[in-house]
Amino acid sequence: MIDGTIEWEEKTLDVLKGADFKKMFFAAAQIIDREKEQVNALNVFPVPDGDTGTNMALTLAAALRELDKVDSVSVSKVCAAVARGSLMGARGNSGVILSQYFRGFSEGLSNVTEATGEDLARALTMASETTYRAVLKPVEGTMLTVGKAAAKAANDAAKHRKGAEIVLEAAIEGARIALDNTMNMLPVLKQAGVVDAGGKGLLLILESALAGLRNHDLVVSEETKTPVTDVIQPFEEGITLIDGVLVNKYCTEFIIQGKDLDVGYIRDHLEPHGESMLVVGDGDVVKVHIHTDHPGLVLEFCAEQGDLTEIKIDNMKLQNQQYTQNKSMEAEKESVRKPIGIVAVSPGKELSEIMMSLGVDEIVHGGQTMNPSTEELVKAVENVNADAVIILPNNKNIIFSAQQVREFVTKELGVLATRTVPQGIASLISFNPEASLEANLAEMEQAMRLVKTGEVTYAVRASKAGELNIEEQDIIGLVEGKISCVGQCIADVTIQLVEHMVSEDSSVISIYYGQDQDPEEAEALRDALEEKYPDCEVEVYKGGQPLYYYILSVE
Amino acid sequence: MGRIHVVSDSGSDLPKEIREKYNISIVPLSIQFGDDVYVDGVDMPTERFYSELKNGDRLPSTCQPSPADFVKLYEEIAEPGDEIISVHLSSKLSGTYQSAVLASTMVSDISVTVVDSKLASIGIGFVALAAAEAVQNGASKEEALAQAQKVIDNLGVYFVVDTLDFLRRNGRIGKAQAVVGTLLNIKPILTLDDGVVAPVEKVRGKAKALKKIRESIRQYQEDHGGKKLRIGLTHADCLEEAQRFAELLKQDIDIHDLYIDYIGPTIGVHVGPGTIALLFHPIE
Repeated sequence: MIDGTIEWEEKTLDVLKGADFKKMFFAAAQIIDREKEQVNALNVFPVPDGDTGTNMALTLAAALRELDKVDSVSVSKVCAAVARGSLMGARGNSGVILSQYFRGFSEGLSNVTEATGEDLARALTMASETTYRAVLKPVEGTMLTVGKAAAKAANDAAKHRKGAEIVLEAAIEGARIALDNTMNMLPVLKQAGVVDAGGKGLLLILESALAGLRNHDLVVSEETKTPVTDVIQPFEEGITLIDGVLVNKYCTEFIIQGKDLDVGYIRDHLEPHGESMLVVGDGDVVKVHIHTDHPGLVLEFCAEQGDLTEIKIDNMKLQNQQYTQNKSMEAEKESVRKPIGIVAVSPGKELSEIMMSLGVDEIVHGGQTMNPSTEELVKAVENVNADAVIILPNNKNIIFSAQQVREFVTKELGVLATRTVPQGIASLISFNPEASLEANLAEMEQAMRLVKTGEVTYAVRASKAGELNIEEQDIIGLVEGKISCVGQCIADVTIQLVEHMVSEDSSVISIYYGQDQDPEEAEALRDALEEKYPDCEVEVYKGGQPLYYYILSVE
Repeated sequence: MGRIHVVSDSGSDLPKEIREKYNISIVPLSIQFGDDVYVDGVDMPTERFYSELKNGDRLPSTCQPSPADFVKLYEEIAEPGDEIISVHLSSKLSGTYQSAVLASTMVSDISVTVVDSKLASIGIGFVALAAAEAVQNGASKEEALAQAQKVIDNLGVYFVVDTLDFLRRNGRIGKAQAVVGTLLNIKPILTLDDGVVAPVEKVRGKAKALKKIRESIRQYQEDHGGKKLRIGLTHADCLEEAQRFAELLKQDIDIHDLYIDYIGPTIGVHVGPGTIALLFHPIE
């Protein structure tokens, strides 16, 4: 054993020469370029624009161009060239910081022809210090932290009189531990479930440098095992939990080995099964990472594609228990409780979807001739996890039932007397989840008054409305609930109706077509209206309501 | 006594004639389409940028200038003993400011003051312009900086984007993250709040958004004692729409000067085609 250790120590280099540094920088530039997508994918801080790896790779490439011009074997000259080149070509935030890292590194090795372990430790220290000075407000949990940890570990090793190669090895180990910890230092990283991208890039550079020194390709580490050829935004959505309920609780990871594996096909197939998905690799080896509720389905499908190895399935719910234990059930419930929730009455499936997209929490189905009961509304209000609830009746016959709800619930209640669906939608657009109930009711009421509502339906019996004689089954157009035109053709009546609604100030005409209405007819109507009102935007949506061929709004 | 130079970046969308008249130098950001890198205003003309953005399937990103780019320009325009006022993109939206600050420590014999405009587009341009105007009127660097600061403090910003996708994808969406309503054609009116994108109001359709902005500018003028406004109207490849809107503005607003120009690639990457931005401040 002792012999073995000594033999291994003898193999490592005590001092690094200029040529060694050249090898190290070349390897770093090459490997970071190859692995840049992996780093890009981690990028969530300071802005999640996914370019950290690219920027670092381009910065190193510029450094290399400068290095190419250097014939000297002096360590200080090699490093100075890298510092100069990276500064000239620094790209992006991470590139600028990296260039400062090399600048400090180079200053630490000025006048050095052969670098000892101590020299290297000093250079890594100065590199780290320079990055801290370069950034206006240093933030921990980033590349800065990783660089600092590398320097500290390098100094510890150098104090024990270790040679340069061992010092570099120690620096890498220190950087690796610090990188893993970045997730605990920056909330945005924790939320996204990733380590810092710049830190990862720096670690990659140090690792590649050592690999280059040993004339190896980069030593395979957990995430860098397969060449990354295709990355789908892996962790951007993160894990769906923290305070709420955990969905997709099984973190499932494995490797598929096979021939001509189709990464795109596998990814497309797996995508619906979960989130935080990462399917990377080439034709022979594909690594899969996914958070799913159905690891069996995922494995089954992938087993058909090739041989599975290194299967690892973790139950994140159990892993997360320590965290959730600290929170009482009450606190958990409170954490998703909103200050203001919204209940809306909707006559059609697609209208319900539109309302939900605008922030409605609970839909009560109903409308003309199918008024929901007060009891249904009470139930919906109780279902909303909020301190206060706004009800949008969206029909004049439901306003009264909505007001009755007050008698049965303890929650603070606001009933906005929306008489039509377009009024409800207009009021929802001006809803602001951060404002108070009173402020919202006032804003929403104002918004609802700025929209005109039209409806196209048929007469259930003969009648007279002002000057208009209406036969049973006639098509009628109503403005704000009052009959304003009559005819036999739906399209003609609708166009007439819009004439009654549009004014000089109008800018948007919206058409919500009913459940039995032909979408093509609705589109034809759009064309006709666009031609007639060139100053207005005409929008057509399926509303899915019964009885009314069209519900229209003009605003 | 040396001269005072004013520098800005390609995010400032300053019309060429203004840059030339007041001798404002521009440090360009670069635009990346995949692995291809272009320099804003150098080898990537605005018209070509928008046609690539609309037709191409490669989504671009921007990249701040390096400190060396700044050092190079500073040393090119200034002699030892000169002073420089360098006005840049909101530090919360871009690292350009940081690069300039770093560069300012690397030049000797030239005193560089870097200003975080907390703005974008011609808002930055107006800050630089105020400084340059003051310099041309014989102001000291401190006086010119005070004029610049006054513009920063007063500048009103509204912009409306066709889609929030560009802001979201490039990580610049800021406080507008919570804007909902993807099923309907909802246009959020946005502003910059302490250098970060923030929502003002949601409305249906761009026409309505522009109408609201008009009303808000009228109110702003009233709140500023009816003083004439300097207005910048920048657009992401929708000149006709911008010109029509300018005509409407002229009816309501007492205007000191009005500049209509493109939103250049630097900002265009992040807001996407169809964006219209209004930036304005009162002139004493």
